Amino acid sequence: MIGHDVDRVDGRIKVTGAAPYAADTKIPGVTYGYLVTSTVGRGQITGMDTAAALASPGVLAVYTPFNPLKLFAYVQEQNDERLPPLQDKEIRFFGQAIGFVVAETWEQARDAAGLITTTYQQQPPITEFPGRTLQKFDEVEEVVGAQTLGDITFTASYTTPFQHHCAMEPHATVATWNNDHLTVYTVSQGALLVQRRLSETLGVDPVKIHVLSPHVGGGFGGKWGNWAQVPLACAASRALGRPVKAVLTREQVFAMAGHRPMTRQTISMTCTADGKLTSIVNDGVTSRGLGGNWSESVANWTLTTYASPNIRVTKTIMPLNLGAATVMRAPGEANGSFALESAMDELAEQLGIDPVEMRLRNYATLVPNTGKPWSSKHLDECYRRGAEEFGWSRRAKQVRATVDGDWLVGTGMATATYGASRGQASIKVRLYPNGTASVSGTAADLGTGQYTVFAILAADELGIPVARVRPELGDSTSPAAANAGGSNSTCTNGPAVQVAARSVQTELITLAVTNPRSPFHGKDPASIVYRDGSVSSGGLTMSFGTLLTTCDVGGVEAIGTSPRLVDPEHGYRSFGAHFCEVRVHRLTGEPRVTRWLSVCDAGTIVNTKAARSQIQGAVVMGIGQALLEATEVDASARFTNANLASYLVPVHADVPRIDVRFLDHPDPLVSGLGAKGIGELGIVGVAGAIANAVHHATGVRVRDLPITLDKLLG
Amino acid sequence: MRAFDFATASTVSDALKLARPGSAFLAGGTTLVDLMKLDVMTPDRVIDVNALPLKGIKLRDGALHIGAMERMGDVAAHPVVTSVHPMISRALLLSASGQLRNMASIGGNLMQRTRCDYFRDVTSACNKRLPGSGCPALTGINRGHAILGTSDSCVATHASDVAVAFVALEAQVVLRSSDGDRTVPLEDFYRLPGSTPERENVLGPGELITEVVVPTLSWARHSTYLKIRDRQSYEFALTSVAAAISLKRGVVQDVRLAAGGVGTKPWRLRAVEEALKGGVAMERTFSDAVESAVDGARPLAHNAFKPSLLKRSIVRALLDAAGVR
Repeated sequence: MIGHDVDRVDGRIKVTGAAPYAADTKIPGVTYGYLVTSTVGRGQITGMDTAAALASPGVLAVYTPFNPLKLFAYVQEQNDERLPPLQDKEIRFFGQAIGFVVAETWEQARDAAGLITTTYQQQPPITEFPGRTLQKFDEVEEVVGAQTLGDITFTASYTTPFQHHCAMEPHATVATWNNDHLTVYTVSQGALLVQRRLSETLGVDPVKIHVLSPHVGGGFGGKWGNWAQVPLACAASRALGRPVKAVLTREQVFAMAGHRPMTRQTISMTCTADGKLTSIVNDGVTSRGLGGNWSESVANWTLTTYASPNIRVTKTIMPLNLGAATVMRAPGEANGSFALESAMDELAEQLGIDPVEMRLRNYATLVPNTGKPWSSKHLDECYRRGAEEFGWSRRAKQVRATVDGDWLVGTGMATATYGASRGQASIKVRLYPNGTASVSGTAADLGTGQYTVFAILAADELGIPVARVRPELGDSTSPAAANAGGSNSTCTNGPAVQVAARSVQTELITLAVTNPRSPFHGKDPASIVYRDGSVSSGGLTMSFGTLLTTCDVGGVEAIGTSPRLVDPEHGYRSFGAHFCEVRVHRLTGEPRVTRWLSVCDAGTIVNTKAARSQIQGAVVMGIGQALLEATEVDASARFTNANLASYLVPVHADVPRIDVRFLDHPDPLVSGLGAKGIGELGIVGVAGAIANAVHHATGVRVRDLPITLDKLLG
Repeated sequence: MRAFDFATASTVSDALKLARPGSAFLAGGTTLVDLMKLDVMTPDRVIDVNALPLKGIKLRDGALHIGAMERMGDVAAHPVVTSVHPMISRALLLSASGQLRNMASIGGNLMQRTRCDYFRDVTSACNKRLPGSGCPALTGINRGHAILGTSDSCVATHASDVAVAFVALEAQVVLRSSDGDRTVPLEDFYRLPGSTPERENVLGPGELITEVVVPTLSWARHSTYLKIRDRQSYEFALTSVAAAISLKRGVVQDVRLAAGGVGTKPWRLRAVEEALKGGVAMERTFSDAVESAVDGARPLAHNAFKPSLLKRSIVRALLDAAGVR
């Protein structure tokens, strides 16, 4: 069952609209909260006139820093805001939550919010990121004598803009209290993250907080943290004794719910004449939004990718008056790989070495920065198989050498790698008299296919069809499983599902020999065999449904726990290689991706259909990163293009057929399942591969994302 | 969004009677409703004109007549339009999305507001939205802004694609008020921003577009509408060019050119047209002729590439329209 194409078990309810998302939650008597946001980027609030809002029809309450809902300081770092909303009068960024209006209808709350006037003592916000320019960067400069280890030197800087997750579902939270028990329906990449945060900031025992997040309409890191609407909806609901629903507008999502930081990497490399790296230095600079703490370790990808006796990376943080920068799909790696994969291509060209060969010559058979062996690594096979299938050997040696009509055609490739690990997870499996099974854990399915992974793995262990397994996710009362982040869900939760599904078989056998109604009553448990959904002994076979019915019990269940992987001896990563073709119009310069092949080495693939989708989706997001996506900030510190018409994500017309291959070499050390992560792997290297293909097509090297036509007009 | 009156008109004269200062006509709603949600447009009365008898696409007296309430999608697909003026169909199909084209009317398309992100944000100053408040786009983020017809008050780009095709084809709009009908060339319908960017066109208070009239052109089949943008669909133009060309033995007899994405209104390129006439239709001729396209252009910090892109776009559109390489 593992390793085949399986339809998503939640596919039908999603496409028919039956899947309940947080904002769909209907509770009788619900009230609506609307966030008031700052219209300056830095300063102090000196006054807020809320009289008109309070007198507005349907308004139940107006909370501001002058009349706050008490929220305790955040303790657990969740890569989101440093401080809970409304607890101070300092403005750290444009669009910061400074008020919360609750009314009987959403329109009443919004209209009343518009009647609030706020005065500020303003200060000029810090928005400049030194060294970034909208102009094309200078061509490569040779550094002579700066480094002494090799006889070839290369230095260049690469920059990336602010980007936003743009999940289809905006952030939404619905809170309701029953005495001192809170039930909250919210967007989240992990119900336990919500429970922990709310426990801290509301001062409520976590066992009294029930979080439900069964379906999430895309996260990409933007729903890891709990943004302002979460504590405000819950605290307002407690204060008012009414359910409260709060949904951010798209503009508010852009301003306050996290973004990928702006980065600059300056890479210096030395190598021998035959292309063996002798040193790599990557000086990384990342922005940090003053609304939060998080910043990106953008240069760190350089530490683990290529073999070199000397590697040094640095990190400089530029604080800016913006909302929190946060994790966004492959944080660090997506930007980090753009720089190093571009630099490797540039160095290969300088040396006259084929880009694939260049990477093979610097293949890291051990983890470069620790010297430890890998748990498993088949990246060389990714390169070779990708090159073979893509037809890499037919690639023109020269740049700007292939023309098709008015289009300049180029090809490029890049390496993908992303860290792998296994955390601790507990999962409950329960068998029912009707022959079905449920599998539950606090895990989240952001559209990733985690529901289906649970169903496949449980069905595989239990020997029953996938359709007879009901996965239950996104409920904080379930056993503690992995949150959806760090490409960690399947590699962490998967083994726990297997453990639980095996444990429940033991429970079933125990029932079979101890229950007086069981035909197996009194037999030696060792004589009972569970196989394909049935127990048998001495010629008698009975399905677990019939057995449970016969014994007249509601079911048997078991909680299985898979421990955290602790292995100081090995390095763990997923690997891959991207190959692409890009066309650039000779007159008007627009770059278009026209072919794509990704070959991935991510261990065991549980569901090839969803896994392929996962990689394809990541490549699409990478095409956006490479060619389209940039959130602009002007001197007012406002994200000026904070809407889905002005912030460009790829549309279907921008996306070619994306071919994905999995090598399917189970990792022998990560777990018995052998699965490493794939959620983020697919975006790593995409922008580099495209930049390299654009250079091959045009001869123009663009080191500043996104690669838009104005940078290619020459 | 603010509270407003809502009225439905079933005849044009009803609609005109319901109109008053501060009212807005509602057709497809794809601009008006959006901007009302953002508080950018705050009409105190909204008059639904969807039931008005302003439909019909006909060829009459040497001109293509398009009722103002025809939907963009219907006009784009209409066989008379695709045969008489394929450029119009192409410009429409490169606009917006299928869902928007099913709703948006031709009259409403001509009235659509700019996509300037300062105009659309009520926390920002904007001379078009709030006269006299200033123009942050001049020094702010202005990659998408205009380079032609701009002023110190406003650099907002006119957003319509089909208006560019209409201006190239010398279309006229029929405007009705209580004083009766008048006909205005679309090129003159739009005003330059000058010091009054809030006044975008010559429509009087309560005046309604009822029809677009496009003269036929015997050589209109040799035409194209080229739209250059970062994303391949669902994006406004960085530059666009409506081009139609008449050739005789490879020599340019006549030509029509207009540009979008670069002007504060659809931008007819008469000087380039004149420079092309009598020339041999080839890339070199086109490249030589386009210099005057950017006469008077005032590029900003982030759109300095637009003069070059505009000239290149014109050359590409002419190559396509002429069918030469």
